[in-house]
Amino acid sequence: MAPAATKPPTPINCKLLLIGNSSVGKSSLLLRFSDEQWLPEDESSATIGVDFRVHKMEVKGKKVKLSIWDTAGQERFRTITSSYYRGAQGIILVYDVSNRESFDALPRWFSELETYVSDKVVKILVGNKVDKEFSRQVPTAEAEAFAKRMNSLFVEASAKTAVGVKEAFTEVVERIMDIPELWDSTTPGVGKSSGQMPGGTNVNLAQENEQEGSGGCSC
Amino acid sequence: MTSELPYAADAEVSLSYDELEVLRIQYQKELSQGYVTVQTKFNYAWGLVKAPIREHQVEGVRLLQEIYRAEPTRRRECLYYLALGHFKMGNFDEAKKFNALLMEKEPTNMQALSLAQLIDKGVAHEGYIGMALVGGAAAIGTLLVAGLIRRATRK
Repeated sequence: MAPAATKPPTPINCKLLLIGNSSVGKSSLLLRFSDEQWLPEDESSATIGVDFRVHKMEVKGKKVKLSIWDTAGQERFRTITSSYYRGAQGIILVYDVSNRESFDALPRWFSELETYVSDKVVKILVGNKVDKEFSRQVPTAEAEAFAKRMNSLFVEASAKTAVGVKEAFTEVVERIMDIPELWDSTTPGVGKSSGQMPGGTNVNLAQENEQEGSGGCSC
Repeated sequence: MTSELPYAADAEVSLSYDELEVLRIQYQKELSQGYVTVQTKFNYAWGLVKAPIREHQVEGVRLLQEIYRAEPTRRRECLYYLALGHFKMGNFDEAKKFNALLMEKEPTNMQALSLAQLIDKGVAHEGYIGMALVGGAAAIGTLLVAGLIRRATRK
């Protein structure tokens, strides 16, 4: 093999997680981002448990290998999907701008994050389906203010028209690159340490965390 | 670049011992109380199918088959995890059968399409091993025969 001097730098591994209510378009955002494709509603199926993609990109001069975990939004998979939070450096919370309920559910998703991932983890709120402007139920300003309050980045997007999709993913990764302790194994980080297991609605996979997990406020 | 190798996320990663224990204890608790909720049973079956131990996978598949029969609303995920469980156990015919049932209902389901590719790769791999075994056996046979002939000619 090539001597060490000429070896290309190994890419930085980065784990992203897509969460949010069912049918808000998490898988569609991922498909648009990784394959530049879009499936109409009648051809796409609800994710079973969790799906996964690898995507390589270059951000701020660094080679990054993204592993993106696309979780099922349906309640029945909550325990399953919660086992995938561990070690995530970035969280993409998705809602549907034409579905008020998916936006109103966000505090629940955030409280799950508060309990189970470090608050250093980068979060971005993505309002998907802006192509349905005519039936919008969530004003941009309101969502933007909410994201700010939750210490999250914010972008509106459409997996269908590709608007904002690349930006959403790129912004998270750029922000992660700004926080070396999330990915640099030489600094004491939060990325790989957390042995915590988040729980679902029905079973908490990490029983020992139950007592200490009550610190977060989900008011 | 974009297209990646087929991948079934749930097939690769197994739960830790403690994590599976949480699911098992919940299941046993409800079992002893006389009523197991579908959710509890499904969670435990999922944990078992993901496990690296064969007995666990067998038990997981058994539970999934029960859920499949009893709960029409949970059929699609049962089919997927049944296919996954059989794939992990190397029962490629069974895996194909269950995955095909899912694809019949959802022809564009990308998780099922990806799993189908994995199963085909598994079958091909098994084919190579089979050929290698046959080849190996033939080689050993040839050596034996050669030895016998040599012995016979020496006498």
